Amino acid sequence: MKKVFVTGMGVISAIGNNTAENLDHLRSGKTGIGPAKYVKSNYGQSHPFAEVKLSTDELKSQLNLKTTYGLTRTDYIAFTALKEAIAHSNITPEQVSSEQTAFISASTIGGMCNADELYEDANLISSGSEFVESYTGSTHTLKIAKEYELSGIVDVINTACSSSANTIMLGAKLIKSGRATRAIVGGTDSIGKFSINGFNSLQIMSDTPCAPFDANRKGLNLGEGAAYLILESEDIVGDKETYAEILGYGNSNDAFHPSSLSEDAVGVVECISRALKSAQINPSEVDYINTHGTATGNNDMTELTGINKVFNGFPPFNSTKSYTGHTLGAAGAIEAVYSILSINNNELFPSLNCNTPIEPFNEFPIKEHKKAEIKTVLSNSFGFGGNCSSLIIRGTECEKVAMVECNNEKKHD
Amino acid sequence: MYITDLYSISPQKTFDNSIFEGEVEAFFGNKYYAIEPNYAELIPKGLLRRMGKAVRLGIGAGMPLIKKQNDIDGIILGTASGGLDDCIKFLNQIVEYDEGTLTPTNFVQSTPNSIAGHLALMSKNSGYNNTHMGMGLAFESAILDAFLLFEEGEVSKLLIGNVEETSEHNHNIDTFAGYFKDTEITSTDLLNSNSKGSVRGEGSALFIVSKNKENAICELADVHQFTYPKDKDIEKRAIEFLEKNKLAPNDIDGLILGFSGDNRYDFWYNDLMNSFPEANVYTYKNLVGEYATASGFATWLGAQILNEKNIPNEAIYKKTNKSPKSILIYNNYLGAQHGFILMKGI
Repeated sequence: MKKVFVTGMGVISAIGNNTAENLDHLRSGKTGIGPAKYVKSNYGQSHPFAEVKLSTDELKSQLNLKTTYGLTRTDYIAFTALKEAIAHSNITPEQVSSEQTAFISASTIGGMCNADELYEDANLISSGSEFVESYTGSTHTLKIAKEYELSGIVDVINTACSSSANTIMLGAKLIKSGRATRAIVGGTDSIGKFSINGFNSLQIMSDTPCAPFDANRKGLNLGEGAAYLILESEDIVGDKETYAEILGYGNSNDAFHPSSLSEDAVGVVECISRALKSAQINPSEVDYINTHGTATGNNDMTELTGINKVFNGFPPFNSTKSYTGHTLGAAGAIEAVYSILSINNNELFPSLNCNTPIEPFNEFPIKEHKKAEIKTVLSNSFGFGGNCSSLIIRGTECEKVAMVECNNEKKHD
Repeated sequence: MYITDLYSISPQKTFDNSIFEGEVEAFFGNKYYAIEPNYAELIPKGLLRRMGKAVRLGIGAGMPLIKKQNDIDGIILGTASGGLDDCIKFLNQIVEYDEGTLTPTNFVQSTPNSIAGHLALMSKNSGYNNTHMGMGLAFESAILDAFLLFEEGEVSKLLIGNVEETSEHNHNIDTFAGYFKDTEITSTDLLNSNSKGSVRGEGSALFIVSKNKENAICELADVHQFTYPKDKDIEKRAIEFLEKNKLAPNDIDGLILGFSGDNRYDFWYNDLMNSFPEANVYTYKNLVGEYATASGFATWLGAQILNEKNIPNEAIYKKTNKSPKSILIYNNYLGAQHGFILMKGI
């Protein structure tokens, strides 16, 4: 099985339009959640949101795309993160469009951010808008495939809010199996009336900034953003800079309820355990957990229960959704990027708004920005439909030392 | 991997296999609706009433398989639009009640993963669970996912398949996109219609696949996909795919082709057919219509052909003196997404 390295990352969220800006906010504990500027909904003023801080026109004008017909905010956000990831990994247009490059993406809202156009098109009120081929969660992928002339495997995964964690898993598997040498993986989502009213109907959308792992948490805030990672096989990575290794992954189903997790955390325990097993590491080797941490009553309690069952206690953990809100189909990829930032800089970012920890665990998430040696991270993502996924991401510093030693030994032979 | 059991709900009577007794439905117009089984024994009434059609088609095909062998290690589905109708129903509520107090049922069922989620829930299956929704390659990607999972060595039996629903709402949107014929014709004339657009079909085809040959009804040998090809040399790509599987073109004695009667894209199938002059050729979109994951139905048909079922004449496009042992399925969706599936008899 081939090793899989991360050689590039791009991210856009409520805390910045690129990786550097996101890192600045995480370090200084500055949230992106606040009053909405672009959201068109009756809840736009009563509830806080974590919007990308650029208008759709501003996003569009920064991209210089060959065609913009039928593109929505979700698409522009995706293109923005993808452009950064490709530049960061320094891969050529030929490498991007090679048949050896797979592209696996995710979006739960897709072009449904254009809710008014969708309503009119679906109910024959319009005479057909330019967005008729833009609504589903997979259309952004075809638009990207066309723009970048992709010719390899192009796939879209939907496991609701854990979707983009599974794109990373599948990309890594394609490389490990030798079916691709490179995979571009991640996800994108934007905020729309559809998701706002959906989460509101479930009574899990908070009217204050979310407070993951606080006993008095009131629910999630919706966020938007995208992240893409460039994964490359050890066969082609050469002496290129690597930022992390995708060491393991676990996927399970909680099989309990269509929209909430079981009290005994069956799915959570399973996906974490499978990830540890696939990474071939012990729980004690995990230095930090980037949790799903949506700040809903159900998620945070179940996630703590599951972590406690596997780890018999709690490694340092946080929820970066206290910065970005819940970015749905993009969350797993955005949080994988943040996990890698923690590894690369040996630092932990504070989790915001937890004042009273949850009984009976009584565990605070990471409270302050601090330096710490971070080699191995667990990142959790869970979704409606019972879909649970965990990723194990490891730093490549130790890997590089081992490879140099190995090469030296070969030279001595 | 090997197919050990299968179940399909489609616009033909496939759920009870009466399609093999000469009962072939013909359709007029642009929508071929599925003939659904009586779900009463499978799904409690209250639950059935709230279930969107996509979820119903998935449960209706998946649960009979799971009930026979509830030791599957995971569920992997391909569905381009999942419960899109639930999406629009929820959106209509949003608009009609001006974002007032809404019931969440449609919202929860609107995500494509809710079908695989419901199957896991109803069978208490905490195994691997994934849903692919990449339009015309969603089913091919589900097969690929299963191959990857088997190769890891942790699982031996999976439920895989495709589900697609038709609703007024998605039909309206896709009509604007130019997917359908301007005039209404009968299904018997579909493949010779020589005009732009096709018709909409729907259905589900689910399979128990196993790593082991035991109890196999056929082999699902390989899958391949490509998107927006720069050249139109489909023969070259087919031969490369077969070579990878150590097969020569004349080893293929059955082709299942996705002819949809859309003269913008049918040349792909003609080109491939001409490259395999000795192969039997089968079609299916004149029976079940066109939809993004229709290759799921083609795979169901392939398994039946390999088991020498009485295939209706309507599905036989060209008969040769060969009896099918190795079948190549080729499908493309709107000329943009192309997939090969290779099947072999036991």
